[in-house]
Amino acid sequence: AMPPSPAIGSMGAHAGGAYPGANTVPANVRGNNMTAGMQLPLNELYTVDLMKSLPPPISELDLDPPPLVLPQNLGISGNKDEANASPEYMRCTLNAVPNTKGLLNKSKLPFALVIRPSAALLDVNENIPVVEDAVVTRCRRCRTYINPFVDLYEDGTRWRCNIYRYARNELNYGIVDFVAPPEYLGRAPQPPIYVFVIDVSVNAVANGLLATAARVIKDALDRIPNSDDRTRVSFIAVDGSLNFFHVPLPSQNEGEDEEEVEPNLIVVSDLDDPFLPRPDGLLVNLKESRAGIDRLLDQLGSIYANTVQSSCAIGSALQVAHKLLANVGGKIIVISASMPTVGIAKLDVRDDRKLLGTAKETSLFQPGHSFYKSFAVDCNRSQVSVDMFLFGAQYQDVASLSSLPKYTGGQTFLYAGWMSNRMSDVQKFANEFTNHLSMEIETEAVLRVRSTTGIRSVGYYGNAFIRSSDLMSYPTFPRDQSYVIEMSIDDPITKPYVLFQAALLHTTCYGERRIRVLNLAVPTASTLTAVYASADQLAITAYLTQKAVEKALSRGVVDAGEMLNAKMLEIFKVFKSDVLNTNAGTSGALQIGANMRMLPLLLSALRKHTGLKKSAHIMPDLRMAALSLLSTLPVKYLIKYLYPDFFALHDLGEEYGLVDENGLLIVPPKLNLTGERIESHGLYFLSDGQVIFLWIGRDAVPQLLLDAFGVDSLDSVDSGRVEVPELDTDLNIRIRNIIAAARSPIDKVYWPTVHIIKENTDPSLRMWATSMLVEDRTDVDPAYFQQLNAYREKLST
Amino acid sequence: MNFEEYEELDGVRFAWNCIPSSKVESSRTIVPVSVLYTPLREKPDLPVLQYEPVSCRAPCRAVLNPFCQLDVRAQVWICPFCMSRNALPQNYRDISQNSLPHELQPTSSTIEYVLSRPVQAPPAFLFVVDLCQDEENLQALKDSLIVALSLMPPNALVGLVTFGAMVQVYELGFTSCNKSYVFRGTSDYTVKQVQEMLGIGPAKAFQGANGAAGQMLNPSLSRFLMPVQECEFQLTSIIEGLQRDAWPVRNEARATRCTGVATSVAVSLLDQLLPNTGARVMLFAAGPPTEGPGLVVGTELREPIRSHHDIDRDNAKHHSKAVKFYEALAKRSASNGHAIDIFAGCYDQVGLHEMQSMPNSTGGVVVLTDAFTTSIFKQSLQRVFNTDDQGNLLMGFNATFDILTTKELKVSGVIGHCVSKGKKTAAVSDTEVGIGGTSSWQVCSITPAHTFGAFFDVANTQNVPPLRPGQAGPSAHIQFLTHYQHSSGTYRLRVTTVVRSLANGGDLMLTASFDQEAAAVLMARIAVFKGQTDDGPDILRWTDRMLIRLCQKFADYRKDDPSSFRLAQNFSLYPQFMFHLRRSQFLQVFNNSPDETAFYRHCLNREDLTNSLIMIQPTLMSFQLDAEPEPVLLDSVSIKKDAILLLDTFFHILIFHGETIAQWRRAGYQDQEEYANFKELLEEPRREAAQLLVDRFPLPRFIDTEVGASQARFLLSKLNPSSTHQTEGAYGQASEAVVLTDDVSLQTFMSHLQKLAVAGGN
Ligand SMILES: [Zn+2]
Ligand SMILES: [Zn+2]
Repeated sequence: AMPPSPAIGSMGAHAGGAYPGANTVPANVRGNNMTAGMQLPLNELYTVDLMKSLPPPISELDLDPPPLVLPQNLGISGNKDEANASPEYMRCTLNAVPNTKGLLNKSKLPFALVIRPSAALLDVNENIPVVEDAVVTRCRRCRTYINPFVDLYEDGTRWRCNIYRYARNELNYGIVDFVAPPEYLGRAPQPPIYVFVIDVSVNAVANGLLATAARVIKDALDRIPNSDDRTRVSFIAVDGSLNFFHVPLPSQNEGEDEEEVEPNLIVVSDLDDPFLPRPDGLLVNLKESRAGIDRLLDQLGSIYANTVQSSCAIGSALQVAHKLLANVGGKIIVISASMPTVGIAKLDVRDDRKLLGTAKETSLFQPGHSFYKSFAVDCNRSQVSVDMFLFGAQYQDVASLSSLPKYTGGQTFLYAGWMSNRMSDVQKFANEFTNHLSMEIETEAVLRVRSTTGIRSVGYYGNAFIRSSDLMSYPTFPRDQSYVIEMSIDDPITKPYVLFQAALLHTTCYGERRIRVLNLAVPTASTLTAVYASADQLAITAYLTQKAVEKALSRGVVDAGEMLNAKMLEIFKVFKSDVLNTNAGTSGALQIGANMRMLPLLLSALRKHTGLKKSAHIMPDLRMAALSLLSTLPVKYLIKYLYPDFFALHDLGEEYGLVDENGLLIVPPKLNLTGERIESHGLYFLSDGQVIFLWIGRDAVPQLLLDAFGVDSLDSVDSGRVEVPELDTDLNIRIRNIIAAARSPIDKVYWPTVHIIKENTDPSLRMWATSMLVEDRTDVDPAYFQQLNAYREKLST
Repeated sequence: MNFEEYEELDGVRFAWNCIPSSKVESSRTIVPVSVLYTPLREKPDLPVLQYEPVSCRAPCRAVLNPFCQLDVRAQVWICPFCMSRNALPQNYRDISQNSLPHELQPTSSTIEYVLSRPVQAPPAFLFVVDLCQDEENLQALKDSLIVALSLMPPNALVGLVTFGAMVQVYELGFTSCNKSYVFRGTSDYTVKQVQEMLGIGPAKAFQGANGAAGQMLNPSLSRFLMPVQECEFQLTSIIEGLQRDAWPVRNEARATRCTGVATSVAVSLLDQLLPNTGARVMLFAAGPPTEGPGLVVGTELREPIRSHHDIDRDNAKHHSKAVKFYEALAKRSASNGHAIDIFAGCYDQVGLHEMQSMPNSTGGVVVLTDAFTTSIFKQSLQRVFNTDDQGNLLMGFNATFDILTTKELKVSGVIGHCVSKGKKTAAVSDTEVGIGGTSSWQVCSITPAHTFGAFFDVANTQNVPPLRPGQAGPSAHIQFLTHYQHSSGTYRLRVTTVVRSLANGGDLMLTASFDQEAAAVLMARIAVFKGQTDDGPDILRWTDRMLIRLCQKFADYRKDDPSSFRLAQNFSLYPQFMFHLRRSQFLQVFNNSPDETAFYRHCLNREDLTNSLIMIQPTLMSFQLDAEPEPVLLDSVSIKKDAILLLDTFFHILIFHGETIAQWRRAGYQDQEEYANFKELLEEPRREAAQLLVDRFPLPRFIDTEVGASQARFLLSKLNPSSTHQTEGAYGQASEAVVLTDDVSLQTFMSHLQKLAVAGGN
């Protein structure tokens, strides 16, 4: 039996500390007679020499951002602690906002918000207060929703007088859901609708995908949000033709046998101008037609088991799936092992290996057909989003396929080299697919960010359709992705605070129109020192990751890497010349604020990441999948993806790997990502959130192997993509606890597979794992300390 | 021999049983040298030979027959058609005038060979089912289709296509679940597209792979067409599960029905799977095509379906486009040897007028009924699957019909359900009558009823020299070769060879050889054929002109003296046939819908002499108490108060009760024991009618009516208006019914004819 699963995102638990000096920041200011131009005593700057903080203190990656220094009685309810949204939902790159455009420009720091409107896949795991009884109150001038900070940034006395002051959620909490009145409804709330487009060509039969997918979908049906029994589904099997399933309604007569719900397979072969073969019975109510749907999924694998069709008309299938959804909206979920080779928007194989690592590689990052952009526009118009689950054994052109999720609020999942006869491959797909499907999606969502006069949003990043300069739309809104919004300062800000407010208008999967409002008040600053002292290095990394991905797609990975290097250097320069005012500089030192100490490491890791590193060996599909993840992961998972978790399992302290009284895993102390930390007799855990490596040193002793894997010799350890055997030993239980925690689905769908690596026998896996040791030198990138040296040398010239 | 005996023997009825000796003579006979030939006419004593026929060398290919000259010593036979000397095969070595093989015996002028070449596939039946109909009609159709499955030979191949707004082709060979392919109702798919969309490989790839060209079947065949015995359960359950077309039908609108595309897809399917093998597309239409290529009327109900007047005035906007579409489809199907049947079950028209070329070109059947719930439909469909006493279907497939003539004659053409195979031999005349320019025709479906009108040109230029008594005069030979796929799974060749003497114009022999019945039917076929292109009035004028000229030539009269006009017995009924023909639905189309016209004409071009004559001049029997039933004149004088009339128009069988009889019947006398004779009188015409129904296809509409009832108009419209408004006496005096018509009566017609014939005759 499995040990009880330690729950709830505990891997990134706070270490409990803070930046040096953070504790000494004056907590707040008394009195509410704040007048324009007055400055709060903001976070103090603590300068560190990076050359002297080696190895980098990586536990700081788990710290909260620099505190937002706000007056104690801020907000009309006085409930300051909850007046701001938590950083998990919304954070700003600068926790002290420059009060002029000039100061911002001078700082060379990015000014952006990182927003994740939902922080759990299911409502039940997210405790957002709801306002149900009021008309939605908005400012007449700027349309901002009423919020805890109204009296500060607007002349809000009128509101103040009219509203119950202390009892209302919208005045107390930084995150609140308004139940939208009818005028916020474009049309009656649509139910969750899913159209599964399933590859049934030989590509999907040969690797066992089809049979597995049918089973996984069937099992996942009970997890699809359907609390009010309105959810509808449809299945389109695609090969060289489009295979629809007409699921008749079960007979109303009692006692009729199951024969009544026999699904009918209807084939449409007109790939260039595909059409729906029936006006009804294709998109069916999940509950009413469940018997027929189950029957269909039971048969699906065997229907195509002996297929010889190698072509696959994904584009045409998307087109008809869209027709099916055009009037109602919903999700198209593609499960495919093929490249679209026939029909609409068919693609040619273009992953010429000679292009890899060259400037021309960039062309492979762009969609191979205009359909993959224009169709996204059609989808948005009709509230349809697309998810891609891709399993190609060969080049599948992820660049083209992933652009549909990218612009429709969907997601791309790539399972390279997936085989159904590998248990963990099946488990990974089954878990991620089920997590994804069970997510309580929201539909017809739009996200808008408003802020204090003088500040506006100028750029949006993330999987969404950018409808206008300040409006992102999502036909269905995923709860596991994050968005970056770049801000600019147009006019000098006279007030000591600015307010950011993100509003996500959406329809819940149980048919309620709601507005989720996230509020963030950030103090303003008039000095570079103050700005630097409050910079949020993780938010800055999130922003620069988006910029780097954008650059890689348009100009190539080399340019992206250079951009990151240049940006870091620029920051060092500003810090040295304008923050420290030491033009000569301390020779041998490379100085930065303590709160930004991890930024060079993160950017260095980003440059070495599969998505961005210069290499002639990274296949474009893998590259594209990595870029897609980089641009969608929430901050905490992004940081892990860039700087994986690494710790030793062979000498776990007494409580590590166990579960505390709250059910949270006690996470072992992390090691720096360098090969120097690997001892030859050791056993290590290494995970970027997508994959877990268990590294067995070549001199691992039999007792360790026995405790961990139940065998007493390295030769007997099953290595490769395999699960850890279930044993009753203390070590084995702890290892499995750690793995289970890494797979906890509370706010993510990813389910990393375990790869057991024997240092001495698995060279390709070893190479993969060591590519995560980002502090080390690679064939094109220097080691972390070398990189620091390089910056230092450039600064002194 | 009399004409009926010729028909018994060879299935032929010649308009002239002697052949005018020269081209000039022939032009004076007005009615051309022509014959009604029923190739598969049932003949109990037909010799069926289990060996290959002996044929003349190519290109002649005439088959050895009783009229060949035989040189037994030299082991040679001389072909009467090309005069070649052909060696007799080895196994004929022992023949002598006293021991002749079957095919050379004088009674074997019609004979059948069972050929050794194997048939590639059993006959195939592809149902094409309209789903745009109400539940009741659809249910009845489904029931009938399931009955039809039980009537097919167990090895017959069967397939299913359904349609409404779109077309669905069922893959019966697919076992996991019901699987069908859908085609858009608006697209004109090519054969190649259909083939690709159904995933059917080209048939070519499977031929000749092992040198046995044509022996292999397309492997996709079993996906769509399966032996009834293997798929009956599955197909029955699919048919039972058929629902009305799911696409919504607006108020004020017709259902969206893509009959044209459905038929086209069906034809393309068979094209790929069973090229040149017997098959029939059986279309069941519940309404007119309203979608895609072949549409006959739009979906809006405010747009009425076209009438004869619309077509006449070029006011039917979809008409000519649809006609072209279906003609192309018919041609495509015919070239593969596949027949198309149309079964209509609809009160309204289904567009048969536009679609008629499909059955007409392929030998398919047409059954026009008000609904699939009618017994006319149900029983007619069952009759399609009638079998002979050996249990073989009474239908042949994929037939080729060839006519060979000796040099005196050339073939001008054929009128009947076939298409030209474009075989232009020396025996083909330059002047065309019907489908000409060839001596070979494709007949995709042929039954014992299928009758062809063949027309000839006399090629001779010289008169016959005077003969001494007892001397055999010159003669012409005609050989009909009908090569067809028999439903027992063999190819067969039916050979009919006839010889007719040549006679000079003035010869009594020629006059006496006139078969007025055959002539009437053959002339009717020409008139109807002309009707496809010519205006109605032109055709009437043509029939009148031909009649007058025939009378001028063959009647006995004094110039300008109508009272002296006499016709020989074998000409005497001919004017009357023409009178009824010109009044018939075949030429007077405006009282019927275009669909009905198409149906009537289809039947006329299919049936044999007897049935055709009934269509032209219906029969009327009178039944009275204390009298034998007797045929009576098709004239209003035949309506009597105390008589029951039985009218047979081929299409309708009507029992009409005279006024008194109707009163008695209403009073219920027939139920009283003492009036058993009255009961007997009522039943007698019914028994007679039942007798008429036995062999009739399609089943006629049966009408039981009486004087004054609305249905009586069916009778009145057929009767000669001898007593009309003009002839009616004083009020209450007329004992006979009044026929409400503006038509001239037979008497008037005849007197006009006499006047015109005797005037200025040449
Ligand atoms: Zn405002
Ligand atoms: Zn010959």
